[in-house]
Amino acid sequence: MSAGTLSGLQQAAPPSGLPGHPAPADGITGLCEQFADVCRSAADALEIAAALEFDGLNDQAVKAKYGYADVFDLAEELHRRVPLDPAEPPAEPDPWRLGPGRPTLHGLLYSLPALFFPAAAGLLSGPASITVLLVSMLVSWSASQGLAYLGYVRLGRGDDAATKRTLRYGFAVAALGVAVALAVAGLVTGARTTALVFGLGQGLYLLGATVLMVLRAERLLLLVLAPGCLAGAGFLALGRPAGLAAAVGWVLVVTPLLGTALAFRLTRGGGGRPFVRTELAAAVPSAVFGLLAAALIAFPVVPSWGAGPGGVNTGALLAAVPLSLSMGAAEWTLFWYRRRSRRLLRSTGRLRVFGRRVRLVLLAALTQYLVATVLLIAAATALAWTSGLAGPDRGTAGQIGAYLALGGAMFLALLLQTMGSRIVPPAACAAAFAVELACRGFGVRAQLAAMAGLLLFLCVYALAVLGKASRHF
Amino acid sequence: MKVALMTEGTYPHQFGGVSVWCDQLVRGMPGHDFHVVALVATGAERPAWELPANVASLVGVPLWGAGPAGRRPGRTARRRFAPLLAELTGVLADGSAGAAGRFGEILRALFEYAQQECLTGAFGTDEAFELFTRLWCGSRADTGPVRPSLQDALTAMQLLEHSLRPLSHPPEYADVAHAVTNGLGVLPALTVKWRHGRPVIVTEHGIYLREQYLHARRGPYRWPVKALYLRFLHHLCALGYREAAVITPGNVYNTRWEQRLGASGAVIKTVYNGVDPQNFPAFEGEPDVPTISWVGRIDPIKDLETLIRAFALVHEAMPAARLRLFGSPPGGREGYLRQCKDLAAELGVGEVTGFEGRVENIRDAYEAGHVVVLSSLSEGFPYSVLEAMTCGRPCVATDVGGVTEAIADTGLVVPPRNPRAMAEACLRLLGDGELRRRLGSGARARALEYFTVDQAVETFDELYERIGSGLPLHYAEVAG
Repeated sequence: MSAGTLSGLQQAAPPSGLPGHPAPADGITGLCEQFADVCRSAADALEIAAALEFDGLNDQAVKAKYGYADVFDLAEELHRRVPLDPAEPPAEPDPWRLGPGRPTLHGLLYSLPALFFPAAAGLLSGPASITVLLVSMLVSWSASQGLAYLGYVRLGRGDDAATKRTLRYGFAVAALGVAVALAVAGLVTGARTTALVFGLGQGLYLLGATVLMVLRAERLLLLVLAPGCLAGAGFLALGRPAGLAAAVGWVLVVTPLLGTALAFRLTRGGGGRPFVRTELAAAVPSAVFGLLAAALIAFPVVPSWGAGPGGVNTGALLAAVPLSLSMGAAEWTLFWYRRRSRRLLRSTGRLRVFGRRVRLVLLAALTQYLVATVLLIAAATALAWTSGLAGPDRGTAGQIGAYLALGGAMFLALLLQTMGSRIVPPAACAAAFAVELACRGFGVRAQLAAMAGLLLFLCVYALAVLGKASRHF
Repeated sequence: MKVALMTEGTYPHQFGGVSVWCDQLVRGMPGHDFHVVALVATGAERPAWELPANVASLVGVPLWGAGPAGRRPGRTARRRFAPLLAELTGVLADGSAGAAGRFGEILRALFEYAQQECLTGAFGTDEAFELFTRLWCGSRADTGPVRPSLQDALTAMQLLEHSLRPLSHPPEYADVAHAVTNGLGVLPALTVKWRHGRPVIVTEHGIYLREQYLHARRGPYRWPVKALYLRFLHHLCALGYREAAVITPGNVYNTRWEQRLGASGAVIKTVYNGVDPQNFPAFEGEPDVPTISWVGRIDPIKDLETLIRAFALVHEAMPAARLRLFGSPPGGREGYLRQCKDLAAELGVGEVTGFEGRVENIRDAYEAGHVVVLSSLSEGFPYSVLEAMTCGRPCVATDVGGVTEAIADTGLVVPPRNPRAMAEACLRLLGDGELRRRLGSGARARALEYFTVDQAVETFDELYERIGSGLPLHYAEVAG
């Protein structure tokens, strides 16, 4: 193509050396060398003309030195003589590069709060307490997903002041929402004050953690979690002495208070409007997804939902912790997937080739995540058996299978959301939850079927949607 | 009379030569109403200039950001868009002489589409991307040196989509559409012509396409994207020249590029920039110490390295000499200022080279030197030279753009990137008071005769009247 658009303007140029023939010995050979980089990468001859002029050559100098009519003719000649061999621009940094540190930290941060529950178990007995905790979990997961979306949208625009103000206001509004929901739940169920306080603490911690994670200050969360975790672990190690229960309860309170204090401290100095209506509307799918994820994860342990009449569900307990640890693996795998698809996009010009390969990458990513989760669950189960916390049980296997499928589905749902597919994953989760609820009489089998169905559906959907190159920009 | 004034990244949101010119133009014609259509980056920009009362409206057209609101095109709209996209892609791959005409037609068809449907949405569909990829990446492996990847296709489509956004805005109603730049800035002017049949004037201070070529060399795009987008701009600029009733370059030197791109010499009328002589009266005396003064943005295109190297040579021959640089780097270019300071120190002239920053009154900067120097690699018709001339200061300037036309024989013109020639010219002037006085008064006389703001404004006033009432640029054309 090159000089094609100038076809009408080329006739003035004198004859020149053809490819394969030695170039005539004139001053132009030196010029070709001097401007080799420009000529090899030139879009057309005018680009060379612009470069020649920029270097100080003008028509008079060209005429006097090289015998061409003007800069344009000289540029045409250079374009003819130097074969095109464009240099690649410097590679842009890959935004999806990620070391193992951050996902490991995140996995830990998601699962460490589990240490709080055994320590607080004495304070939380009775169905009313479980209802209160469930309400707290549903509301605060939902709010924190919505808040994270709003925060990341502002952060993505490079507007730090607005990010801070959004997070600060969002935290306050969401914390108020959690408190109101808990008050209502407390009134309805007549739950004990300790349960209400624990529920509020759980909500505050989750919201504070969201603020800190958006601001990339997640390391501080280890500090926030330390008092509660150390107290909980010590309490467990000492064999849950009843005399210490109240003292441990007080230590647990430190964590949400610290989280709240840090969230407010780190969001000082904000500015701009905290919320715009369109942004709030756009955050709804994220909030709904948070709600459904909480509901699906809690389902097997809630008495009137998935937990049998016996109350405690060993399989669920065995799988819940590794599942939250596996969210670290999900994050790592998500970055891995994005890195691979980014590379694919740059290595082929054919849609069909891209579609085929990127689907394989998706399946590989899902496999990676599932294998990591199976390993984590196996380790947790082995630990539980050897320590005598739980024994082999037929129901356990089904329950673990259901959680594994749920983990895979959550991974795909998150991936789809980061790729701009924000409606279908929550809708599918809602359908799966409805099935679980409707078939709760069938026990673990129904849960397994619902979760496997959800995983299968999201997998097929992701293969269809993410096979399109335009989704990967 | 209503004048639609189209700008891109300049007036009234940014400072700089083109914005000064626009401000002079608008303030100089209080009798006309100006409707300013400014292509901007995001739409969040605030005007940097105070708008006079005769600016009747200001519309910002953001090229980036989410894009104009609009429903995503339905099935029929998508089906209508496909042939348009195919034709646009085809034109951009067409190296024949007929491509220029086809480009004009497809651009107009895209304009008609954009006035009814959401063009941004149409570009954003999967079908559009697949079609573009098939046409661009698939079949043309043998014509370019590098095969485009899917990433390239996405980038190229995005560039085209963003560039065509001005077509989606409602055309301004005006008697004349005056684009103060070619390229994207000419799009809103073309919409005025296409919708209301009003004539277009294209003014160019620098050559838009040449600047894009230079810009693209340092750009982030792979060759296929760069080549496609430059060809798009090439066609667009050529169309701007063809559709213009008058082209008014800021100097004769620019006309070379314009004619190379197919502009007819019959519609080209050079209009020089001007300054207000009241603001730049002649200086009475000279500084005590032999001084070279420079005024401008601290930017690589101003080639301060050559100036500093030249000054080092001057300083060697005339140890009393000083160099004073007035101006500051634009945001993000502070590194270049440091580089210049380091170079001065390295050459042993750090102590006698003053980086003075911005001055309140630009006149003081010219007064500070016996000689005013311009060392730029690229210029249109620089105000600093005109202003120095009006004050009666002799200039040493590089032979770029319209500089020779401005100075003629009232100063010394040297080749760019040549410290020795620049040093010799400076020494000649610094060492010869009689020559300085002769050239200085010659420069002032020349500036007052040819380069006053009143003349520039008057010329455009006449052009507006003439072109606005449908008359051609030259009476002779009608008769002939």
